[in-house]
Amino acid sequence: MTDLLTIAEEIIAAGESEPRLARDPVNLPIIENWVEAMGDASPVWTAGEVAPPAMIQVWTMAGQRQFDRDSSDPMGRIVNALDAAGFTSVVATNCDQVYHRYLRLGEQVSITVSLTDLVGPKRTALGEGYFFTTRHTWYVGDEVVGTMDFRILKFRPAASGPMPSLGEPMRPVISADTAFFWAGTSVGELRIQSCVDCGTLRHPPGPMCMACGSAEAKYVVAAGTGEVFSFIVHRHPPVPGKKLPMVLALVELPEGVRVLGELVGIATEAVRVGLPVEAAFLKVDDELTLPAWRPAELPELVVEATTTFVVGAALATRDFTKVHHDRDFAVASGSKDIFVNILTSTGLVQRFVSDWAGPSAVFRSISIRLGAPCYAGDTLRFTGAVTSREGSLHTVAVTGRNSLGDHVIATVVVEIPGSTS
Amino acid sequence: MTGAAIAGIGATEFSKESGRSELRLAAEAVRAALADAGLSPSDVNGMVTFSMDSNAEIAVARELGVPELTFFSLIGYGGGAACATVHQAAMAIATGAADVVVCYRAMNERSGRRFGQVAVGASSIATSSGIDNSWHYPIGLSTPAATVAMMARRYMHVYGASSADFGVVAVADRKHAANNPHAWFYQRPITLEDHQSSRWITEPLRLLDCCQESDGGVAVVVTSVERARSLRQPVVSVAAAAQGSGRDQFTMTSYYRDDMTGLPEMGIVARQLWRQSGFSPADVRTAILYDHFTPYVLMQLEELGFCGRGEAAGFIADGAIEVGGRLPLNTHGGQLGEAYIHGMNGIAEGVRQVRGTSVNQVEGDGPVLVTAGTGVPTSGLVLAAG
Repeated sequence: MTDLLTIAEEIIAAGESEPRLARDPVNLPIIENWVEAMGDASPVWTAGEVAPPAMIQVWTMAGQRQFDRDSSDPMGRIVNALDAAGFTSVVATNCDQVYHRYLRLGEQVSITVSLTDLVGPKRTALGEGYFFTTRHTWYVGDEVVGTMDFRILKFRPAASGPMPSLGEPMRPVISADTAFFWAGTSVGELRIQSCVDCGTLRHPPGPMCMACGSAEAKYVVAAGTGEVFSFIVHRHPPVPGKKLPMVLALVELPEGVRVLGELVGIATEAVRVGLPVEAAFLKVDDELTLPAWRPAELPELVVEATTTFVVGAALATRDFTKVHHDRDFAVASGSKDIFVNILTSTGLVQRFVSDWAGPSAVFRSISIRLGAPCYAGDTLRFTGAVTSREGSLHTVAVTGRNSLGDHVIATVVVEIPGSTS
Repeated sequence: MTGAAIAGIGATEFSKESGRSELRLAAEAVRAALADAGLSPSDVNGMVTFSMDSNAEIAVARELGVPELTFFSLIGYGGGAACATVHQAAMAIATGAADVVVCYRAMNERSGRRFGQVAVGASSIATSSGIDNSWHYPIGLSTPAATVAMMARRYMHVYGASSADFGVVAVADRKHAANNPHAWFYQRPITLEDHQSSRWITEPLRLLDCCQESDGGVAVVVTSVERARSLRQPVVSVAAAAQGSGRDQFTMTSYYRDDMTGLPEMGIVARQLWRQSGFSPADVRTAILYDHFTPYVLMQLEELGFCGRGEAAGFIADGAIEVGGRLPLNTHGGQLGEAYIHGMNGIAEGVRQVRGTSVNQVEGDGPVLVTAGTGVPTSGLVLAAG
């Protein structure tokens, strides 16, 4: 194990690889392929001046050519070392892109790669493994135009299936006083107890009005909006039925009560007191649905990830990795089907925010945490909210969900000129 | 003055694995407390413990050979029961229900059921407490640290307190523990940098904001001041004893009050303590403030009247709560430094301070304040010489 860390130190010390030049200059036909695949309707991208920032990696993709991985390639070296140590499986976990400026048509970028860190061994849900991060830097001449930190888990598949279960999710005790609430969550309603006699609203509910003493109660359905009053990020210890870290938020409703729920669809560092949220409902099973919250301000985007979409988008991002277009290959290598590639996920995040922010928006960065794969035939639903705002600079939390759960959780920093706080 | 005195204190060693049953720990602690007082089991006729304690009064009495019990009582709400056991004992003595009352708490809380882990059954009991827990546990809010973190975040937001402010409490506790041979963290002080680099448990709480999980037992013997005068130890009077529960009270999750930056139940305790004893915060020589999690030490200082709302971070700065400072706190090392025995070890330290036998003795003749579990219905004591 120490060997791997020593190897990593050597690779880190070696610094950036030799620059590799993109095949083509930034050009409109490739941009148009990409824009069509993503469904991004912004006129900015097809005006013949700049390229969508989320395309930055596209220009230096290998395409159908294979690059010879020379001995100076840091990514190849660390992957080989981990493979040799038995950590043969791979999953990408994070992709953080920062755009120093937009690329202009005609510019020909080059890329260097360096290894930033290797951490491990760690026990993960997938098995024991190491996380490593590579830093990808794009240049035009000597000018840095963008960077990407790409985090990967290389793991030894757990021999005995999934990790031992912590047990069943915890369930509420339901009484005659509280049954209406849980009946509400199961039909997507956040119900607040209301006194028949004096109208006082109350949560958590109880059998007797704290204001007037009446035992006659009904309920109102909350508007489903609110603001974070306080919150925590739970990291230890494990909680049955929950993925950690987990944000739990105590939300103050405009109706005047507070309701606790898991806050989903947001990066932990983006949560703040005062964050506007809306009600969400987490179905545990047919008998139980938990109240929850999600940040929600941007209009939802639904993308049908058909086979044509998966293949078309993979090729439009010049990603010819077989698991994204060759079903036979994907199934033979253990996948359920072909699945959406990371460059496409990044592109869709950009499009989702771009749809809302309009053509004047300038993207500064897109940070993505990767979750469940998106197989052909699934549907991706993007939701998002502005989590902070300094002048025209907006931070937007984005979640793309599919039938398997969260596919991407992203934080996008975008400047929207002319907007005011 | 309640007319009651604490005549004896006793404890087992504090460890992470006692290697023996909780009942044996309880019996050992009680026997040690009786020996300290110069009493024998046959002198005992009252017993009080926590409803959370797994050792029934009759079982402890049986092991010790206590022939007759005329008073026995359980106090609820976790660590909030600590000082309330003495409160119960004092009431029993005042009414004549008992003459010598033993208060005890013993648990294998590290090697057995760990409070820091998720109590998965807490929301499955068909009681009002189970229903209260049902608004929190299934959602995922299911550890003591998490419940406190939610309050701490709001306190930080409203008053601008920082994680480093919480760390000041941990540093003081560990400094005091470093000098206490009975403390788990004997000779292991920490710096504020250690605190700030400790891992997150539940943001905004770090590992070093959280008390230990401990195995051990502590007992105290309560009798009348008159009787105590004829016993072995200097008299430690219970100058005041009180319980408190506030409006819209929950256990650890009182999140539905107008304000979420204080501990009103401790304010209720405080007002009774000052009224009963005639003392004020300015008189207090040293205090043992319940410290399962550091943020609640700040909030307690405000509720008890040592400083104004939101001013605790300033109050505790610059060594104020360390020995030699203006109000040394938790001179045994607290539950972060000595051991987590649900606050009962804090009562024992309060007694040592009044007797003048603490390893971190605070000079002076002012009263000693002891508080019980925070975030829950709670209790407190003022102890004084004579």
